[in-house]
Amino acid sequence: MASYRNGGLFNPAYHDSETLEIDRSKSLHANPYARAERPDEPYSTGHSSGGDGLAGRGPLGGWHGESRRGGESFPMDIASTPSWQRDIHPSRSPPDSPYDRSPPVHLPSAMSGNMTMRWRGMTMRRMSMFPNGDPANEAFAEDAIRNELQNEEQNLIKELIALSTRDQIRAIRDLPMSFDEKKHIRSQVLAVKSKRSRHFTCFAECSENVSLSFRRFGYSVSSARQTLQLWQGIMKEIGSKFGTSVVIYFVFLKWLLMFNIFSFLVNFGFITLPLLVHDTSPKIPPNVSFSGLEILTGAGYFHYTVMYYGGYSNATLHGLVEYDMQLAYFFTISAYMVLCGIALIFNMGSLFMKNYVLADPTSNGAWQLLCSWDFSITNERAVRQRKNNLRVQLKESLSEKAQRERLTLSQQLRHFGVHLGSWLLSTGLAVGCGASIFYLCKYEQQATAAADWSLLQDAETLLVPFVVSLMNLVVPLFYSLFNKFEHYSSQRRQIYALVVRNVLLKMFILAVLCYHWMNVVAKFSCWESIVGQALYRLVIVDFLFLMLGSFFGEFLSNLIGTRLLPRLGVPEFDVARNVLELIYAQTLAWIGIYFSPLLPAIQILKFFILFYLKKVSLIQNCQPPRRSGRAAQMQTIFIALLFFPFFVGALSMVAYTAWSLSPSEHCGPFQGLSSTFSVVGVWMEDLEKIPGSQWAVWIYLNVIRSEIFYYFISLIIVVIIYIFWQVTQGRKQLIRLLKQRIVNDGKDKSFLLDKLQNLQKSHPDRKSQQKNQKRHSKQRPDDLSPTARSNSNAMVQALLARQRLEQEEQTSSTVPSDISSPGALTQAMLARQRAEDQEAGAHRPLSRALAVPAQAWQRAGGQERDEYFSPGFYESPVGASSMVTRRAEDPPSSASSVMMQVMQARQRAEDEERPQRAPAAPQNPAPAGSSALIQAMLARQQAQNEYDDGY
Amino acid sequence: MGTTASQLGKDLLSEYQELTFLTKQEILLAYKRFSELLGKDEKDVLHERVPMDRILTLPELKSNPFRKRICYVFSTSDSKNGSLTFEDFLDLLSAFSDSATMEIKSHYAFRIFDFDDDGTLDCGDLEKLVNCLTGETDETKLTAEEMRQLISNILEESDIDKDGTVNLSEFQHVISRSPDFVR
Repeated sequence: MASYRNGGLFNPAYHDSETLEIDRSKSLHANPYARAERPDEPYSTGHSSGGDGLAGRGPLGGWHGESRRGGESFPMDIASTPSWQRDIHPSRSPPDSPYDRSPPVHLPSAMSGNMTMRWRGMTMRRMSMFPNGDPANEAFAEDAIRNELQNEEQNLIKELIALSTRDQIRAIRDLPMSFDEKKHIRSQVLAVKSKRSRHFTCFAECSENVSLSFRRFGYSVSSARQTLQLWQGIMKEIGSKFGTSVVIYFVFLKWLLMFNIFSFLVNFGFITLPLLVHDTSPKIPPNVSFSGLEILTGAGYFHYTVMYYGGYSNATLHGLVEYDMQLAYFFTISAYMVLCGIALIFNMGSLFMKNYVLADPTSNGAWQLLCSWDFSITNERAVRQRKNNLRVQLKESLSEKAQRERLTLSQQLRHFGVHLGSWLLSTGLAVGCGASIFYLCKYEQQATAAADWSLLQDAETLLVPFVVSLMNLVVPLFYSLFNKFEHYSSQRRQIYALVVRNVLLKMFILAVLCYHWMNVVAKFSCWESIVGQALYRLVIVDFLFLMLGSFFGEFLSNLIGTRLLPRLGVPEFDVARNVLELIYAQTLAWIGIYFSPLLPAIQILKFFILFYLKKVSLIQNCQPPRRSGRAAQMQTIFIALLFFPFFVGALSMVAYTAWSLSPSEHCGPFQGLSSTFSVVGVWMEDLEKIPGSQWAVWIYLNVIRSEIFYYFISLIIVVIIYIFWQVTQGRKQLIRLLKQRIVNDGKDKSFLLDKLQNLQKSHPDRKSQQKNQKRHSKQRPDDLSPTARSNSNAMVQALLARQRLEQEEQTSSTVPSDISSPGALTQAMLARQRAEDQEAGAHRPLSRALAVPAQAWQRAGGQERDEYFSPGFYESPVGASSMVTRRAEDPPSSASSVMMQVMQARQRAEDEERPQRAPAAPQNPAPAGSSALIQAMLARQQAQNEYDDGY
Repeated sequence: MGTTASQLGKDLLSEYQELTFLTKQEILLAYKRFSELLGKDEKDVLHERVPMDRILTLPELKSNPFRKRICYVFSTSDSKNGSLTFEDFLDLLSAFSDSATMEIKSHYAFRIFDFDDDGTLDCGDLEKLVNCLTGETDETKLTAEEMRQLISNILEESDIDKDGTVNLSEFQHVISRSPDFVR
């Protein structure tokens, strides 16, 4: 206890508070009634010394402050918040002593959360305490706020000191304050730190230096990483000209490129490199030479290289260690597929959570306005365009809303008909493409079976990939055309429809190709290599078409749009179509991973060139998309599409090949086996002979090959899913309840604000009258009207405080919390309101006016009791009612002064140390009563602070 | 580059790094740009104020519809004229940098949108915001009826406690549900 009081004595917030100094000097010179206040003195000094129990403190701050306080207007009173807070709650440690010997030990994470919460509340309060900017309140606001700021700042510094250096830096950086304020806080934290560590030895200094240099090293590493990041500047440039939705395409492209680099490294490192190291001589027959066309067809010369499945042997390589090619091939491919799947699922999961679960589908309009401005756009033309687009979008969404209500049944039917027709047409088109490719493949098969290999024959193999790529290029254009005839009510639906149709098309094409490879090609000798070549050709031709597409699609239409037909305008960059092209390309690479392990190398090259190509084409030819969807959601959709159906399709294709198809007998690592997977069985048989590896065999037999294991696993997963589903339902319910509560709190707040404004209106010239009123109250304490006015002034301030608390409460209530304390708050509010009602109708019969505050007090008291559990409060209603009854015997006193008495009585009860002081009060009811009100307010605020800190 | 680095000093540089989300290179670049904004006779880069007009000539801000608001929000000038010191300038860059947290960004965005600095986005603020976004000339402006409907839509969606204004926590709530915001 004593130690904290010493802390209070040296409390810089209190002593350095310039407001206090100014107030004091002002009151000494400016207030001509300083002498007249003498009667308060016993009360005030008694209060401060009684509250603090430290005689020396009075003269230092409390005595002066308080004795002047009686004569000053309320604003100045508030300025001494810290001392009051200590008086009322001696059990609470002083919030503002940086010299506190035992800083509270919290978890850093919890602390920083708390901190930001507090700062957020504070800054909000600072901004919104006086929305009307009433000059009468400004003095009050300024002082109160400044004081509170200092208080908060000290708290903050204390919290910061308890953190580790790293967390400290991060926490300071995260404060939403101006640079100067941050610097100030940092310097204060550092000062306290250095003071504390002064008596440490050289060791501490050394460690400090080391950590400083480490931090500096960390900064330089992070900045180096940023400069090394691929295409960082280009992305920024594109973002500044075309906005975020176009950047999504490039981010996606880069992400896929990284994927391919990873897969290339894995495949090359574990499959190709050992083989090349072991056996350097190429197995190319002497009659095959490199002609150049192979780069396109992938056949001929390449057929014999490590590019394809056929180039690998089933031998066990004897180098430094034994390296089983079969096992290496199998496990590398399967590990790669599994890793890809995991990476995709994680990416997709986190994006889904961020963009769909958290995102509210209904808040589209608010999003459009509040969050739609892309601050990254800096290009003048882009800004103008963006403004235009936004305006069109806003107008459309407004008219759509109106239109939707006006749609008649026939119109709806017609829309439905158009949609159905275009869906049928597009699906039919996709099926048709699939069928034509199937017959084309069949034809090609027959042609190659008939003739020998020749250069022409090689060129003919390019027919299928050519047709496939052509379809991929042309058919989506038809889809875009369909889209123009359909009138989708929302632009998002339109994009989704387009995406789904394109996906269907690509799925049909790939499915037909896979079917062909599995069922027809798989009967040839060395069929894996043939499939690998087919995939290689597809990848290459697709690349050529992408280049052609961006040339014809973008460059030519730019020419047409600018020179020939200005009506068409410059083409837009269609993010959805371009991303789908990327997805398709990546799917080819995934399917090919088994048949041609080095296909990722081609893919890397392709994506790398594509990036620059698209960038140039975009900047030269395109304009930003007119209707950009919500970029983050589109990104999620794309990743989801990449996973399903494309990755899952590729995975099942590879898995089917490994499990069910018999590998070719004369080439490749798995020659002579019935299926690829049986390589594991063979390995297990080998292992059985080695002692000490029985466990692996056991796992293979009892886990991997046992149905019961999978059965149990799936059962457990189903149960877990069910539990999580239930939890989700519960959370939904909770969210609904909390939302309702926020609405209710808002209603309360607006109700109180209305009351407050009414009061303010009824006393517009309060400030000018304040001094007069003081004089009146000094000279004629029983005068009804000034007292009532001063009382209403107090009420205004109490209400202001309440409003502030309400806001804090609302800030904190976005976090799920216990429901009980708001109930208590509401009750207190009711009590206050009742008191106010009584105060407003001051001319009502006295007896009734007496009853109301008493009741109000009892309610408030009950609430206090709930919050503090202090035994002293149990006495308070009794004290209050006794006070009330005593005052009731005094007929000339006004209802408002009774009200003050009530508050005073309450204050007395709170200060249980000096109950005997009560009789002194009636001598000067007005100032004492008002300060009692303020005390009550502060008490409430304190309660609120504690309530906040509870989180 | 070397000369600017020595002008800033190692300690100052590391302090800036600690207090902002910027890297060393970015701070040095900012320093260079800022000293270019200053006139020839103003040598004291760290303490000089650059008036708003000159800040707005930066290509990054030139075409931004909120450029004046940005200056006002980040200015620590007492006369509220939107002039920036170097540290204000760093603060601005830090808030708009990639690595700034959502909290910071939403806080500043709210203040930028809060045209009358009263701590809430009320109808007047929203109207100004819409005008800023769509352009203020007569033919691009929304009609009064459209504006009214739009603002009521926005308030309906984002004003959780139904008090007729959007406050900071409501704003942050909307933003937290719109993941595009951070970029």
